[in-house]
Order: sequence, then C-alpha cells, then structure tokens
Amino acid sequence: MAASAPQEPCCTLETGAQGQVLCLHGDWILKRLPRLEAGLKTLDIDPLRPLRLDAGKLDTLDSAGANHLLLHLGRQGHPLAHLTLVGFSKQGLALLALVAVRRDVVPPRARRRRGLRQVLGWHAWALARGARAGLAFIGQTGQACAALLRHPGSMRWRELFVQLEMVGLRAIPIVMLMNYLIGVVFAYLLGIQMQKFGASHLVVDGVGLGIAREFAPLITAVLVAGRSGAAFTAHLGAMKVSQEIDAIVTLGLSPFQVLVLPRLFAILLMLPLLSFTADVAGIAGAAQVAALHLGIPATNFYSRLRDVLPLSTVLFGLEKTPAFALAIAMIACHSGFSVRRDARSVGLHTTSTVVRSIVAVLLIDSAFAVAYPDIQT
Amino acid sequence: MNLEPVVEVESLRTCLGGHWVHDDISFTLRTGEIVALIGGSGTGKTVLLNQLVGLRRPDGGRVKLLGQDLARLGSADLQALRRRFGFLFQDGALFSAMRVAENVATPLREHLPWLPKPLREEIVDLKLALVGLPPDAAGKMPSELSGGMRKRAALARALALEPELLFLDEPTSGLDPISAREFDRTLRVLVDSLKLTVLLTTHDLDSLWGLADRIIVLFEGRVIGDGPVRKVAGIEHEWIRAYFDTRTLE
Repeated sequence: MAASAPQEPCCTLETGAQGQVLCLHGDWILKRLPRLEAGLKTLDIDPLRPLRLDAGKLDTLDSAGANHLLLHLGRQGHPLAHLTLVGFSKQGLALLALVAVRRDVVPPRARRRRGLRQVLGWHAWALARGARAGLAFIGQTGQACAALLRHPGSMRWRELFVQLEMVGLRAIPIVMLMNYLIGVVFAYLLGIQMQKFGASHLVVDGVGLGIAREFAPLITAVLVAGRSGAAFTAHLGAMKVSQEIDAIVTLGLSPFQVLVLPRLFAILLMLPLLSFTADVAGIAGAAQVAALHLGIPATNFYSRLRDVLPLSTVLFGLEKTPAFALAIAMIACHSGFSVRRDARSVGLHTTSTVVRSIVAVLLIDSAFAVAYPDIQT
Repeated sequence: MNLEPVVEVESLRTCLGGHWVHDDISFTLRTGEIVALIGGSGTGKTVLLNQLVGLRRPDGGRVKLLGQDLARLGSADLQALRRRFGFLFQDGALFSAMRVAENVATPLREHLPWLPKPLREEIVDLKLALVGLPPDAAGKMPSELSGGMRKRAALARALALEPELLFLDEPTSGLDPISAREFDRTLRVLVDSLKLTVLLTTHDLDSLWGLADRIIVLFEGRVIGDGPVRKVAGIEHEWIRAYFDTRTLE
C-alpha cells in the first residue's frame, strides 16, 4: 500500500564548497523503508568530506527510519558524531541520539548453528537424561507409596475421588459405546465366516474369547490412555508452567503424594472396572448382531456363552489391566512433570504421552499373550 | 487532528462475577501523553486495558480508540486498528515456540510482508537494542530468559510496528530499579520523538513521579483522581493519601 506511493526523492545530496549536504525529504518511517533504502543507495557519499544532514524538509521520522539512516551513513564512514545536524527538531535529535547510543552499546548478534554431530550428541544426551529421569520418577513414586503405607492418614481422599470420577465414571459411556461397536463388527465378520461352514453357533465361542481376553481390555486401555493420560499430562504440565508444583513443594508437601498417587490409584482401580463394563457392552453388541443377522436368539447366545467362556478367561483379560494402568499413569505423570515452562512444551509432552502410553499398552499386551499362551475352552 | 483525543472512554461499566468492577469510568488521552493508571489490586486495571484493546467487551459505556468506536468496528477494521497500537502484557506473553528475534519479527512479517529480510532484521536488532536486551538474547527461547528480560523482549515486539499508541501493563514490575529508570528514559524519548501516546498501569512510584504526565486513579469502580501527579497526590482521599504516604514513610 505505502510502497506504491507517488515517486518523489526521499533524499538529495548536494556538494558545495563547505562539503556535502544531505537533504531529507518527506516521511522517514517504517512503511517507506524499502524506498528509503533504495534512495540512499543511489547517493554517492564521499567518506572523506564532511557531511551536513539537513532536515528542513523532513516531515516525520520514526525509530526505524532514523536507525536505517544512521546505519547507512555509518557504513559510509560518517558516524553520528561526525555529522553536522541542521534543521532537526529537539525530538528528532533525541531520537537520533537514542538510536545511535543503543547501537554503539550492543554489537551485532551471532547466530547459533548446530552441526550433525551436535544434533546427534544432543539427542543421545537427551535420551540418556530422559531414561535417568524416568527411573528416578519410578523410584520417587515408590518412595511416596512406602510413605503412604507408613502414614495411611496422608492419603488425599478428595483428589482421589475427583480422579476416580474423571477417569472412571465419566469414561463409562464412551468405553461402552466403543466396545459395543467392536462387538457388533467382530460378531458380524466372524458370523459370515462361520456361516460358510454352517457353524454359526461357533460365533459365540470366538466372540466370547476375543472380547473377554483381548478386545475389551485393550480398547479400554487405549481409550483411557488417550483420555485420562492426555488429561494428566496437560493438567500437570500447566501446573508446572504456572509454578503450582513448585508451590506445592515449598509448602512442604510432596507433589507425588498430592498429585501422582491419587491419579495412579484412580487409574489402577478404574481400568479393571471399565474393562468389565467393556466386556458386557462388547458381548451385548455381539449378541444383538447374532440375533438379528445370524439367526441365533439371545437366550441361545447367552446359554452357549456360559458353556464356552470360562471365568478364567474373563479374569485373565482383567488381570492385564492393572499393568496397563500402571504404565499409563507413570508415563502421563512423568511426562507432565517434565514439561518446561512454555506452552509448546505442554503440547509436545501431551502428544508424547498418548503415543508412548498406547505403545506401552500394546507391548505389555503382547508380553502377556506370549507369557500365557494356553487358552482354556 | 492532534486535538482529537487518542483514547476516549465514556461511562464504562464492567461486571465480573456479579460484582461491578467498573462503575462509570470516563477519561481521555491526548497525543503525546504518558498516562499512568493506578489503583489497588483488583480494581480492574488489567481488565480495563483488555477492554481498551478490544480483547473484552465492556458491559456498558463506550470506548473510542484513535477516533473509532470499538463497539461499531467489524473484525477487519478492528484488525487494522490493532496494527496502530502496541500492547505489553503483564507477563510478556511471548510466543514460547519462537526465539526472541522471531517474536519481534512476527508483527513485521505479518503486517509488512513486502519488507525485505535484511531491513526486517535491521529493525528487529534496533528494537531489541532500544529495550536494552543483551545481544545474545535474540537467539534464545523465551523460556530461557529471566522475567525482566522477557518483559523487555515483549516491549520490543509491541514497538515493532512503530505504534501510535502503546498500552503497557505493569512495564517496570520485575525490573531492577536501574533498568526501570532506563526503561522510563527510553519511553520518554520514544514518546517525545514519535508522538506516541502511552497508557500504562504501574505500582512503581518512581515511574509515576518521573515519567507520567498525568495519572488516573481508580477506586471502587470510579475515577477518583485525574491530573498531574502533584495535583493528584494532593487530593484529600483516604486511599490516595495512603498510597502516596507509603513513600514518605520510608
């Protein structure tokens, strides 16, 4: 907009008997900076002859304009101290002096650059430090647990119940809905395969085993990792940013007792319960599909389920969940505590919590699958 | 045009949580003035600044900035108006994902995209130097700076577009007295030479005496004093008396 203003010279240079005179015209302001730069460049200033700066026709001068003028003249061998200033207002002189003085004090900045080796080393160092911090976190949580056993009165009941509600109660609808849908899809796919062999009733065996042993605990853990894990990290991270965690420490309290243990216990308690509701919802979904599409009435479905799904399989599915819970809570809380004091860090750590806890849940699940391969039927 | 007030606040009212924080506040600012807004904690100084820049709607009354009524502006006009003033937040509010130099360059890059990079860097260097940041601060992340340095970097960002009007929320809190006085001097020169108008909130009595042309005192939702420091300090009012007495006791 301002760059397309009508062309008029912003400065002229006259060489006379007493030396050179640089006349400034019009506005020397930020918006006209490119034109001012071009105008100054066309002038051929002799560094050896004295220079007068005439501001008689100058309208406005701002700090960007003054700075550019002085920088240019300085490069041409005419620092402010050597200039003769004519026609400047008192304010204009003050501005020139301010800009020039500051310029002298601060030398041009050097930019930092990192080579490949530095980057590699930095990442290796960060990895090692992260591993050490993780171990320290586990240790500190253990210590806090031990302290809690010695003094059970120090349990934060209110925080625990708040977390039980947030982690457990409020997750029930979404957990049940997801698992219901998984049950529907699973029963439908399995049913189509089984119908080919004329053995639709075997759907009940497959669905019961699959949902109780794998799907319900796994889907629930992934949901909780995304839901509560992310919430833990974001909450603790924001507290870290606003120094609330430091405040807890200076009040003589342990952030592990106040913040970590209630969350850990809440998830440990709630994940098995949520998994059970997931079992129920998944099997209900499967039974509905079986009744509507595979011609197995609900009563037949449930009576066969009682025969083919032993309690031990359901319990095996639920037994895995405390291990998932431990991993999610530890990753989320540690991640929250290691947030640095800026907003970007909160986002990065929340993302990493979700990814790492889902990966951890899947790893633990496969470890269980390998460790206990026999399936009772 | 210079006679037209830069900021005009007319019987502004604010309700926060069922409580009237501002009840009929009116004042005007003229070009080239440095006006300090004082008042006890919780008298809504920060809220008032937020309303002046259009971050919050007043619950009553009118705010005119640079001759334009904020309530009647569309979002595009408001954006255009926002380029003409700078705002320094209480704790800086630097973009934490960017280095200090990039923070200062952001308004330039967004609003003057045709400005060549060398010129932009020249301006960034100037603004950082003007606010007295050491040269190595430019390449640092905001989280690596001390509170006072963050504040200066934020001021450099507020100054980047050569604003006509500057709102400063507690600019010298968190600065040591030497830096605070230097900040006052810098601000004075900028105001005098650039015809800047400044509205600042402060608890710094030295800034009040040395820097402000005028002070406005908020008390229980009203303006109880508006004028030069000397005049306001002489007003017979319990709170004003107590405020200025904290100094004479020392």
